[in-house]
Amino acid sequence: MIQPQTLLNVADNSGARELMCIRIIGAGNRRYAHIGDVIVAVIKEAVPNMPLERSEIIRAVIVRTCKELKRDNGMIIRYDDNAAVVIDQGGNPKGTRVFGAIARELRQLNFTKIVSLAPEVL
Amino acid sequence: MTPRVPSAIAFRGLASLEVFNRRKSKKMVLKTELCRFSGAKIYPGKGIRFVRSDSQVFLFANSKCKRYFHNRLKPAKLTWTAMYRKQHKKDIHAEAVKKRRRATKKPYSRSIVGATLEVIQKKRTEKPEVRDAAREAALREIKERIKKTKDEKKAKKAEVVAKTQKTQTKGGAPKAAKGPKLGGGGKR
Repeated sequence: MIQPQTLLNVADNSGARELMCIRIIGAGNRRYAHIGDVIVAVIKEAVPNMPLERSEIIRAVIVRTCKELKRDNGMIIRYDDNAAVVIDQGGNPKGTRVFGAIARELRQLNFTKIVSLAPEVL
Repeated sequence: MTPRVPSAIAFRGLASLEVFNRRKSKKMVLKTELCRFSGAKIYPGKGIRFVRSDSQVFLFANSKCKRYFHNRLKPAKLTWTAMYRKQHKKDIHAEAVKKRRRATKKPYSRSIVGATLEVIQKKRTEKPEVRDAAREAALREIKERIKKTKDEKKAKKAEVVAKTQKTQTKGGAPKAAKGPKLGGGGKR
């Protein structure tokens, strides 16, 4: 349940550390974003000497949420933090590595590159 | 996409088509998992899965277990959890009884010094009557031997006594006097 002003961890090595959600991409006045949704975010904290800098506006896809993800087979998964992966306009990740567990839903939403880089897909 | 109906069913009609479809439907896989907190079985569609930031997965049977976990309660201290029961050794007698069944030791066939394999096997297969008869024969032999030695000893003693009597006829009176006195003492 990510909404504007939500701070998210960054789960890749693109250079950003922390993002703040600004807007949810998709249908009109959407209230909340879940795993697999693309958001517009501003970089609040960045690693020095990297291509991405603080207060840059970028797009990211949410990969982990504290709010439970409900699957069709009745499985409920809850992560420990809110995290996103920085992507470009085409949906390809800007970083080369991904950290932490990734939800399987991303594969169906055509984020296959992120899923393939993930150390663990749950 | 309709499945191809075999001709046999097509002949019989619609009712058997239902049976055919039902048999073709997939059976759900029923694999229960164990709750990390209480040790209870979690059936598919139930329970909550929690992925910690270090990517360790915890399965909880219900929100009670989940709540206790997040409140940092220890399952080993709660009486109803499997961990507590294991720690306090509840229900362990049933398991121990099951495990006691061990294979009986079989007699090992190998020749040793003093008896070759054939001799051992022959002795093993001897019938009890034969063994008893053999034992009796042995005992009888021993008894006869003992008897023989006893007889010999008696004969020797008799000889010695006869000899001494001949030489000690003078000293026979004190012996005789002692005799009845002893007997009298014993009688009282």
